[in-house]
Amino acid sequence: MIEFKNVTKGYDKNKSDALKNVSLFIDKGEFVFLVGRSGAGKSTFIKLLLREIEATEGSVYINNFNVSKLSKKEIPFLRRKMGIVFQDFRLLENKSVYENVAYAMEIIGKSEKQIQKRVPLALDMVGLSHRMNHYPHELSGGEQQRVVIARAIINNPSILICDEPTGNLDPETSYEIISILEEINRRGTTVVVVTHDREIVDTMKKRVLTLEDGILKVDDATGRYGYEV
Amino acid sequence: MRQVGTAMKFSSIKTMPRNVVRDTMKSIERNNLMSAASVLSVIAALIILGIFLILTINVQEVTKDVESKLELKIFLQSDFTDTQKETIEQALEKSDLIENVTFESAEEALEKFTVSLEDYAPLLSGYNSENNPMPASFVVRVTDPEDMDEVQTLAMSFEGEGVEYVRYGQEYVEALVSFNKFTNTLSIVVLVVLSMISIFIIYNTIKLTVFARRREIGIMKYVGATNAYIRAPFILEGTLLGLMGAIVAFLIIRITYYYILGLVGGNLFLPVDASLASPDAVMGQLIFFFLLYGGFIGAVGSVFAIRKFLDV
Repeated sequence: MIEFKNVTKGYDKNKSDALKNVSLFIDKGEFVFLVGRSGAGKSTFIKLLLREIEATEGSVYINNFNVSKLSKKEIPFLRRKMGIVFQDFRLLENKSVYENVAYAMEIIGKSEKQIQKRVPLALDMVGLSHRMNHYPHELSGGEQQRVVIARAIINNPSILICDEPTGNLDPETSYEIISILEEINRRGTTVVVVTHDREIVDTMKKRVLTLEDGILKVDDATGRYGYEV
Repeated sequence: MRQVGTAMKFSSIKTMPRNVVRDTMKSIERNNLMSAASVLSVIAALIILGIFLILTINVQEVTKDVESKLELKIFLQSDFTDTQKETIEQALEKSDLIENVTFESAEEALEKFTVSLEDYAPLLSGYNSENNPMPASFVVRVTDPEDMDEVQTLAMSFEGEGVEYVRYGQEYVEALVSFNKFTNTLSIVVLVVLSMISIFIIYNTIKLTVFARRREIGIMKYVGATNAYIRAPFILEGTLLGLMGAIVAFLIIRITYYYILGLVGGNLFLPVDASLASPDAVMGQLIFFFLLYGGFIGAVGSVFAIRKFLDV
């Protein structure tokens, strides 16, 4: 569950705010696209969710918790409730596929036994079991993105946030990635996909939030790309 | 959320050492050149510090030894009265600068002198209690040799009222006390300056490590690693570098110190009868200090180095 209540975020007093009085509600288990041009406030939206930055005004709630009120020490535990998929993958080059995914479990202190049990399951889910011992540079872009997704869901987050997950991929691979995200969503995880990919958004017929110059312009439940290019 | 968080924290501390030790070893290996430079700088700093420390410990030991032998003698007039003696004695005993006071009568002084000149006994045989040339005196031990001067002033206030004159190794005590102060101050200055240099070099080494792994740190932060978890391998790395330097520096100093002691053969060329601190005790203090110091500057350097990169 994600809720923004009249959120405004400004970085610089002399420039216009990156987000202007945005209110929205994303329920548990929803699949939502967030679209908008560069500079519309999409990155700010994600950074607010991760508590990388704090709202200038208004509050952000995740699973009924006011994120703005978390202390610095609690931030890591907030992030453990969320899986994150980046456009540029951010895999560790010197670790194998298996190690990259296992790493996310090591960090939060899971036992070796749990890791050995869960990592193959996650890799199976994204269809990469056969690539377990390969290194990132040996994989295609689509395969790397699947590793990132496996890493993002390995700790069973309640929310999966994807920042331009198909931005570096060809259309066919993009659909594969999106269908994996759909499958994850079907198992109960809330999925938020920030994207430019008009075709995917129109095909998927999911809820679409459109940001324009920091304002939430359209909230369309039937799934149409909210602005004309 | 808080409760879940605490439970996770405990389990993450439990499994931390495995990953941390592995990552740290990899990192020291990867940065072998800078790591070696850090260890060398710690070695250099600690050798210089060690020399000063040994000097300070020994000067302190010699000073203590000499001080314990120091006494102040208040010689009385040959015609002092019992009332005068008691007044002086009471005044001395009341002063809290003084550890103890003993009275030495003219007879006792003559006896002592006779004993010390045993071989020349005939020279003194003409003297007896009737024509005793020795003055009676108070032998005073002060609590702190720096107060010798004040005690002398106190005793001299009775000059003419029983006290003839006061004597102690004034110049010698002053020189020793000020030399002791000098070496103490110098050691502290050297300690501070060299610490800053070593911390700075370790800081730079760890910063390279942190920089090389900044992507990894970023990913760790997004996956929900705590700052303590991220920091641990870097602090361990810095501490290990400091400890390595400390151990090598200690071995070099130990070998050199015993070698020099063997050459000198315990002869200190000092004008007084005083002994150096026991070498084993000095080395014991040194290794304790070195390990503490090496580990400390390593850890401090690392904490500074990583601080900036933790804000994501």
